[in-house]
Amino acid sequence: MAGQIKRMLDEIIRQRAKGDHTLTQTTKTKLILKGFNPDKYTALSEDSPEVIKKIRAVAAEMGIRI
Amino acid sequence: MNIKTAYSTNKAPNGVAAEIKDQLEMNGVKAMLFFASSQYDADAVSAAMQSQYGDIPTFGCTTAGEIVSGKMLDNSVVGMAFNGRIIEDMKIAVLKNISENVKDAVDEAFKSFEAYYNTKMADMDFRKYVGIILIDGLAGAEEQIMDQIGDKSNVMFIGGSAGDDVQFVKTHVFAEGKAYSNAAVLVLIKAATAFDFIKTQSFQNLNKVLVATKVDAAKREVLAFDGRPAVEAYADAVGTSVDAIDEYFMSNPVGLMTGDEPYVRSPQRVEGSGIVFYCNVLEGMELSLLQSGDIVGDTRRALDDKLKTFGPVSGIINFHCILRTLELKNKSLTADYGLAFKDVPTVGFSTYGEEFLGHINQTSTMLVFK
Repeated sequence: MAGQIKRMLDEIIRQRAKGDHTLTQTTKTKLILKGFNPDKYTALSEDSPEVIKKIRAVAAEMGIRI
Repeated sequence: MNIKTAYSTNKAPNGVAAEIKDQLEMNGVKAMLFFASSQYDADAVSAAMQSQYGDIPTFGCTTAGEIVSGKMLDNSVVGMAFNGRIIEDMKIAVLKNISENVKDAVDEAFKSFEAYYNTKMADMDFRKYVGIILIDGLAGAEEQIMDQIGDKSNVMFIGGSAGDDVQFVKTHVFAEGKAYSNAAVLVLIKAATAFDFIKTQSFQNLNKVLVATKVDAAKREVLAFDGRPAVEAYADAVGTSVDAIDEYFMSNPVGLMTGDEPYVRSPQRVEGSGIVFYCNVLEGMELSLLQSGDIVGDTRRALDDKLKTFGPVSGIINFHCILRTLELKNKSLTADYGLAFKDVPTVGFSTYGEEFLGHINQTSTMLVFK
């Protein structure tokens, strides 16, 4: 399977920013500073269980259900 | 004027506080921010400043150098007073014991903000509220606190890590007459005017990427870049020998890039075959090698750009990295840097790290009020 990490990161940004451009950028930067650069993942990126687990934890801390 | 600035080099805490107050007379003061050299007794200067202002909240921290409109200073206190046209309301929270207990401390502070403003942090309008964070510069807790803040709110908290005049012994934050170590002060402001931010650093991306493949995050240490001992990979990237790499640390830090914008990570020292940084590097991070540039020129450009897009400003709070200050001192450019702010009421200090979405180095982060 592939692409889940990209979908999860995009969903975090979508839910947090709600379409606001500034919040889209700041949320993306927050994710990059946590070590998850949305631009480094694509629909073809391998689904690493370890990375997925970490992103779920980040989403939970942000109060986001994905 | 809705924001006024002042400074004093009076050696006595009571004297310095009185001189600052005398210069900042204006009607309807809502808050007083001050940055004090660590040469002053921290408890005494915080108490003296609050004593001058009575019920008006005062807050601040110790420094590694001070900035006030038109000047860079040492061994002084600088202050900024705000009236109700800038700050509609504000609430201060002190986070204690931050080297051990970040999550509970941030939770408690945020609960106090929510109770005060009767609004959940997650729902606060990031265009109406802005936060200032001043944090012990030696507790090593900046990343965790900024992470917690960023997770729980869209409100931007901007600030700096307190200094102690490059002694690296003890730093303090101030709130309402008290001084705290191993602590952070969070101030949540409901602004009465528009505000914006400047984040500026003077580096060129050399387009050489180092991937941190082994780290000790708790120690802010990179053990390996690209699967090689960190010192060897860094030495190759800058084009020198391992023995000489510390000569390049200030001029060639690395940047975590978001588009064209670097979030700078500055190397501090060699430890065995690893490199300890002034802020965290996580495993897997791709870092671009940077080359230092013209701090004064880039700062002037950043200010001019902001004035063009944002319009006239009432005041600026400048959180300015001590490594930038040391570079300016080495090049005898501190006077030129100070003059970049001569036309705008400004206070600031030389920090042990800057906070802007995360913890960063060799940067100036500025809060700008219209």
